[in-house]
Amino acid sequence: MRTPLSTLPGRIGTATAVILLVAWSLGPIYWSLVTSLTPPLHLLGTPSLWPQQISFEHYAKLFGATSMSQGNAVQSVWPQFSAALTNSLITSGLATIVTVAIAAFGAYAFVRLEFPGRDLLFVAVVATLAIPAYTVMIPLYRLMISLKLIDTYTGITLIYVSAFLPLALWLMRSVYQAMPISLEEAAWLDGAGRVYTLVYIVLPLSAPGLIASAILTFLNAWGQFMVPLVFSPTLATKPLTVLIPEFVTRNYIDFGLMNAAGILAIIPPVLLVLFLNRYLVSGLMAGATK
Amino acid sequence: MATVDIHRLVKRYGAEEVIHGIDLAIRDGEFISLIGASGCGKSTLLRMIAGLEDISGGTISIDGREVNGVAPKNRDIAMVFQNYALYPHLSVADNMGFSLKLRDVPKPEISRAVKEAADLLGLTPYLDRMPKALSGGQRQRVAMGRAIVRKPRVFLFDEPLSNLDAKLRVQMRAEIKALQRRLGTTSIYVTHDQIEAMTMSDRIVILNGGRVEQVGAPLDLYDRPANLFVATFIGSPAMNLIDATTRRDGEQLFAETDEGVRMPLENHAVAEGTAVTIGVRPEHLALADVATPGALRIAIDLIEPTGHESHVFGRLGRHPLIVTHSGRVAETTSAGVIVAPGGVHVFDRSSGRRIDAPAASEGSEKR
Repeated sequence: MRTPLSTLPGRIGTATAVILLVAWSLGPIYWSLVTSLTPPLHLLGTPSLWPQQISFEHYAKLFGATSMSQGNAVQSVWPQFSAALTNSLITSGLATIVTVAIAAFGAYAFVRLEFPGRDLLFVAVVATLAIPAYTVMIPLYRLMISLKLIDTYTGITLIYVSAFLPLALWLMRSVYQAMPISLEEAAWLDGAGRVYTLVYIVLPLSAPGLIASAILTFLNAWGQFMVPLVFSPTLATKPLTVLIPEFVTRNYIDFGLMNAAGILAIIPPVLLVLFLNRYLVSGLMAGATK
Repeated sequence: MATVDIHRLVKRYGAEEVIHGIDLAIRDGEFISLIGASGCGKSTLLRMIAGLEDISGGTISIDGREVNGVAPKNRDIAMVFQNYALYPHLSVADNMGFSLKLRDVPKPEISRAVKEAADLLGLTPYLDRMPKALSGGQRQRVAMGRAIVRKPRVFLFDEPLSNLDAKLRVQMRAEIKALQRRLGTTSIYVTHDQIEAMTMSDRIVILNGGRVEQVGAPLDLYDRPANLFVATFIGSPAMNLIDATTRRDGEQLFAETDEGVRMPLENHAVAEGTAVTIGVRPEHLALADVATPGALRIAIDLIEPTGHESHVFGRLGRHPLIVTHSGRVAETTSAGVIVAPGGVHVFDRSSGRRIDAPAASEGSEKR
């Protein structure tokens, strides 16, 4: 069979596309990695693709008790960095768990339960995706103040859930719609109620959809900047995304430190995706029917 | 084990009525088939009995108790789905024991019941497998096993064999029938395959456009179809139908086609000059020498040999006519045809209803 890969121009084209894509997505990360490993003095020279001298001093600033900065011993940023890392993990994790849990049950209602205005309600929920976050920032801020939820995990989680739930609902709805209803009917006839059927039959079979929702939500929450910038003023809830830019001080921009922190900040989501990706396998439904 | 009584059952989707007041009494232990073309309402009727579709009017009672508002899980009914609907993340044993687990049956008892059902169905070696590791026929058996393991009052089958290949279908047909005999559970079986209905059922319900055309034992439907729909639905190849008008010649009553071809009618209570449709099954026609007395002359277009018999496609005047001839037929362009005694069915052309011979009309089960 002749596929685009079997001709020479086809192969060259494919290779070019792959290289461009990899350069586009991994290039900035590579640049960040190189920067984080370059001694501060070299950062001021001509940029190079490969560090002439590898130094871990930026990472030492993050992890050590004290470190050298411009020839002076200074307090390391580990206390702030670790607090922000914890905050990022907690807020993103909570947002993911709550969002996926609500989406798992809510989307089922949108597919299998009949109630007046069901589809209209669903469209309304999904339509909120089109509202720019900036437009609701001020009212949301006032709301959070009156609820005393500024700088709390609850507040941040609630905001994240409201922002990411529509997408997760949408995704889970299409997962449920693709599932043959006869499986649920069989369970009902076997004596199962609606909730039991959802939890023990539908959800296990929807695992790929649930995991996809979880990954999307976690990555979205992990990368949030605007929301925590406004709602997480202190290290009580401030995440990495807000902390890292603060390494810019009045008379010095610590590029190396920022990039080292950035590289470390990439690790948790990468691990999560690598871990969950194993369960994103297709073919879970094989054997159910036919 | 139970009786199922259906009284004036109506199903509407919005303004559209799809089942128009069906009455049906299913006896305890009976194997009854619902048969009809797609869209006739047979699956809808089955799903209403299961509780998967709401009832728009009328009642369904199981063992004398009305179940209209009863949830499927409380009807004590088991259903085998067309696509089997096995739980793909559960093993064969867990699939079969699912309903018992929900009823809080103790574990040893579940595994005993599952093992018993598995023995009956030849599934014992596969109990630890997942559904995806089974063949189509094995999956079908697991679906059956899931139904029988909890000893429900009624089995419902929704075209359970339609996804199997022809050979396996014949085998499973016999297995299901034998199993039902052995368990004695009231069974309602939906199919579009008349052979399945004929071979498996105690009685067949023929549905058409949301109405019952006829209910009866398989051979009754074959021998005495109540109307043209049933006449053409049961039997393969389908019954030959020829429009004719009744004429009398002395004592003898004839049906005469517009081309003047005459067929004698024996003992039919039909007035002279009635517009009728004559039905003759292909297997009740025999090829004969044209010179045979009473033989009708047909032109032959095509001969289909099936091995043990041949289907001869011909024309009686302008009317197409199929003859099933046991044995082989040499290529020819014309032949004589003799109608077997009692092989002629007469239907009123305007109503489509059967017109019976007077002696036989008593006690016949119409509708």
